[in-house]
Amino acid sequence: MNAMFEPFVDVVPSFFGTLAQGPLTLTIFLHTVIVLPMFWIYKQEKARLEQEGN
Amino acid sequence: MAKKSVWSDNRFWQRTAAWITGFASILLIWLTFDTNAQIAMGNDSDLKNGVTKRVPGPTVINYKITYEMDKKRQHEVPVIGEKEKFFGRDDYSEEEATELLHLGKLGSQSKNCMNCHTLLGNGAYYAPDLTKAWLDPAWGPTGSMQAMTGKSTKEEAMAEFLQNPSQYPTHARMMPNLGITAEEAKGLVAFLKHMSSIDTNGFPRNFGKIQGAVNGK
Repeated sequence: MNAMFEPFVDVVPSFFGTLAQGPLTLTIFLHTVIVLPMFWIYKQEKARLEQEGN
Repeated sequence: MAKKSVWSDNRFWQRTAAWITGFASILLIWLTFDTNAQIAMGNDSDLKNGVTKRVPGPTVINYKITYEMDKKRQHEVPVIGEKEKFFGRDDYSEEEATELLHLGKLGSQSKNCMNCHTLLGNGAYYAPDLTKAWLDPAWGPTGSMQAMTGKSTKEEAMAEFLQNPSQYPTHARMMPNLGITAEEAKGLVAFLKHMSSIDTNGFPRNFGKIQGAVNGK
């Protein structure tokens, strides 16, 4: 049975190797970097709309 | 007038699209350079210091190569082991080995191996896949090819076969004589040995394990 966490072993070490450890690692990474800035953009745009009195 | 929602605001979606497009572009450019590092060929000092490379340096022909199951990756990977004689020598310099591989590569192109064989996923499946040909048990001490060609080593048996392929009955579709010289054959065998040491993420799968896969023979 596989352990939940295994030592990181790759032929040639790479940052992308950490994103290819399983099906969820890349998904979680991409959702994080896409969705989190969207919250920030949302808040900025909301503040702008309120300031403009719409 | 009702308050305007951010969700129906054009600027919010413009900025979101700009962010995703910009981020994806940077990621793809970064991936391109990362791939270059992944597929860059190693050198002699990498082999001596045990630095793993997907494509080992040319002097890998001085070493024994085996194909072993990697439990974590769940497929077989080429393992570079102890020194092994290749045509009687295990001290090919980087220049000599590079020259030999270059000769083999040019030979494989001029004789159009890919017209029938597959090399690293490119080519045809009219004849056996050559990606891991060096690791094919048929050429090993227990295989039939050394006895058939009357040679006592894998490289000599391969070189003999390549020079006179039409003399040795192998498959139902026999290889034609391509006029390969002794020196070209040596280069081609070095080229094949180096190619088999490339980490191809287990391609071709189950190589050398399936018997009688072609037409039940």
